[in-house]
Amino acid sequence: MVEKKKRERPAFNRSIAAAISKHYKDVQTNKPMAYLLMASNPLVEIAYAARIQPAFPENYACACAAGHASAGYCETAEAYNYSPDICSYCRNHLGYIYGPGENPPTGGIGEPDLLLITSSACTHYFKWWDALHEIYGKPLIFINTPRVMEPQSKPDFYMDYAMREIEQAIGEIEKAVGVKITNDKLSEAVKLSGEVVDYWQKLLEMQKAVPCPMDYSDLSNALFVLIVLAGTQEGVDLMRETYNETKQRVNEGKGILSKDEERHRLLWINIPFWYKLGIFGYFEDRGCVFPLSDYTHHIWGTTRMDGSKPIESLARKALEGELNTSVDDQIDKLLKDAKEYHIDGVIAHSNRSCRVLSVGMLDAVDIIREELNIPALVLDCDHTDERVYSDAEIMNRIDAFLEMLA
Amino acid sequence: MSSVLEQMSSAVSNAPAVLQKMKRNTGCRMIGFFHPVIPEELIYAAGIHPVRLFPYFDDSITLADSQLQTFLCSYLRAEWDQIVKGKYPYLDGAIIPRSCEAVTFLYQTWRRHNPYQFIDYINVPWKRSENAISFFAKELGRVKRDLEKFTGREISKDSLSSAIEVYNRNRELLKKVHDLRKSKPPFISGLQAYHVVMSSFVLDKREHNGLLEQLLTELSRRPQSLKAEVRLLLSGGCVIDSRLWGMIESGRAMIVADDVNNGSRTFWHFVEDRTNDPLEALAKRYATVPCGFNTSIADRFKYISEMITEYEANGVIFAINKNCESEKFVYPELDKKVKDKLHVPTLNIETDYLIDMAPLRTRVEAFVESLKV
Repeated sequence: MVEKKKRERPAFNRSIAAAISKHYKDVQTNKPMAYLLMASNPLVEIAYAARIQPAFPENYACACAAGHASAGYCETAEAYNYSPDICSYCRNHLGYIYGPGENPPTGGIGEPDLLLITSSACTHYFKWWDALHEIYGKPLIFINTPRVMEPQSKPDFYMDYAMREIEQAIGEIEKAVGVKITNDKLSEAVKLSGEVVDYWQKLLEMQKAVPCPMDYSDLSNALFVLIVLAGTQEGVDLMRETYNETKQRVNEGKGILSKDEERHRLLWINIPFWYKLGIFGYFEDRGCVFPLSDYTHHIWGTTRMDGSKPIESLARKALEGELNTSVDDQIDKLLKDAKEYHIDGVIAHSNRSCRVLSVGMLDAVDIIREELNIPALVLDCDHTDERVYSDAEIMNRIDAFLEMLA
Repeated sequence: MSSVLEQMSSAVSNAPAVLQKMKRNTGCRMIGFFHPVIPEELIYAAGIHPVRLFPYFDDSITLADSQLQTFLCSYLRAEWDQIVKGKYPYLDGAIIPRSCEAVTFLYQTWRRHNPYQFIDYINVPWKRSENAISFFAKELGRVKRDLEKFTGREISKDSLSSAIEVYNRNRELLKKVHDLRKSKPPFISGLQAYHVVMSSFVLDKREHNGLLEQLLTELSRRPQSLKAEVRLLLSGGCVIDSRLWGMIESGRAMIVADDVNNGSRTFWHFVEDRTNDPLEALAKRYATVPCGFNTSIADRFKYISEMITEYEANGVIFAINKNCESEKFVYPELDKKVKDKLHVPTLNIETDYLIDMAPLRTRVEAFVESLKV
């Protein structure tokens, strides 16, 4: 019988929880408010420079899933003809719009004054924001950037296009909200975003330590700061606090598990099951930690931001995140990182809602398994729609994997 | 059936054999592609035969499951299954567009499993602004250089202009055939129109133009013999299963217009202003193809509402493939607009590779019966 332990989580989780709570109050009260997506998105810094309150329906879907409200919202969306084939982040949000219920998680996400979207993630988001444009009738401002399939030989005109798109969007946003986004304001937001990224990169580096100082759920929490608060002093302060505490933990040899307890270091590919984050505790009880994931390491915070070159930095941000690159690029990064983070096993979530992170994954898993000679398990599931999750089936497969690992 | 229609129908049914024979007789290279957003003229001007990729309906999906999950589009999975089974020996490569995720990410899966020599990727913009068109023209220039490297010969401005002439002529003739469905009753059925368009994805465009000219002559001499008590518009992504078109038209209904990738979206818009920069002209044209992934709900509604009005459709059938996320995302709002603004009844059916037609037939028959005309 494996003992289920209550472990002390890093204290920064409490500060981040308070920031999340404040964010959801702000989206209800601050005006103008815009919906943005959570990809490597240049519009976040632009929104802050324009004093627009950003809100993130994907993050809201995660919150709803964690509160076990997503299945109901997905059902409501389906009653409005949104097929179960559509990403559950989108269905969660559309279900919330059509039937929020009396007590929506976090108090709700509010109605936007503006819709800001980039193409640096997937077609779903583009279609999602277009549907919101129909539903709310609010201005839709869209930055279209190319997908970078071959990062090593990216043509120069890709950057030129992204930069022109960003400049054009800034003009459209100024017109829509009647605020001038000065160079100084934009530079300041990009500079602050850069500071958050710098701390984030150092934070990820510390995950290489044994024992691992943070687990996947801690890093997922810190992602909120990296994405939602990019371009704010609040974000810099929170990320610094997260970094300082983690650095201290590493210096003191403190991990999620002790050095003796930590037997396996696993790679998680794709988004977690937001309604079942306790699954990481299950792994911890069996001596496994997750120092590395493509979701935490490769999608966001990959671009060094330079406040003296704001448009160029934002264009690079749009082009460089994993959601805008290719499967081969993902595989290269995972192979390199798996060695540096001392990974000895892989859990891959074949996520029916996230095609960007799932198409090509079966190849990626085969390659990692063969090149690194480590075991891998593929779990078919969904990041938000809890109805797809089968506890018996998933846990059975995980147990079999853990037995093999032992 | 007209002899030309029989030839076209045969080319579609026997596409692998037709293409294999063409390859044997001419020795030409062939490049496959998905979706009507790939500028075929570029491939054609390079002296390569462009082949639109659709799966043949003759085999269940087996090998593809190890690379593509079952929650992805079944047509794409069937297509990939047939590629890895070596059923397209005539292909020398492929060009993949940035469209839905399943197609987009097939690019590197294709390259990794390397069944053919040439593979390229085109970033199709999702907007139609001046900035987007200028970018798209440069992207086409990059692909042009890749094709030149592959063939070892330059694609001249003249050869590109000439290819555009051939393709514009094809569009003009296809539109004329499409317009024959405006009359009451229509001169050709939806299923026949399906074969006319689908054969253009197999045959050489010049040969196809000749057949279309013959077909128009034949049809002008033929008395109208079709019945269409109910006139339908068919909307969806890739509605490539001929059984579905036949089943819808088996009663008193006829498909008089369509909004599908393998139908009007392929030929509706022409390449204009080609005198200066053919690449920019191609970019302008191909950025306006109203596919599910790159077109707003407002633009899609404009496209189909004009068609419903012009072709006097009494009803709309949305036939959307399982796991086609782009079309499924557009459907709820588009459907609402068609019902609320045009007061035209609609039916939504979900299609799938090798799907059993019987349950769909029951629903289509009930819908057609419900339409008062």
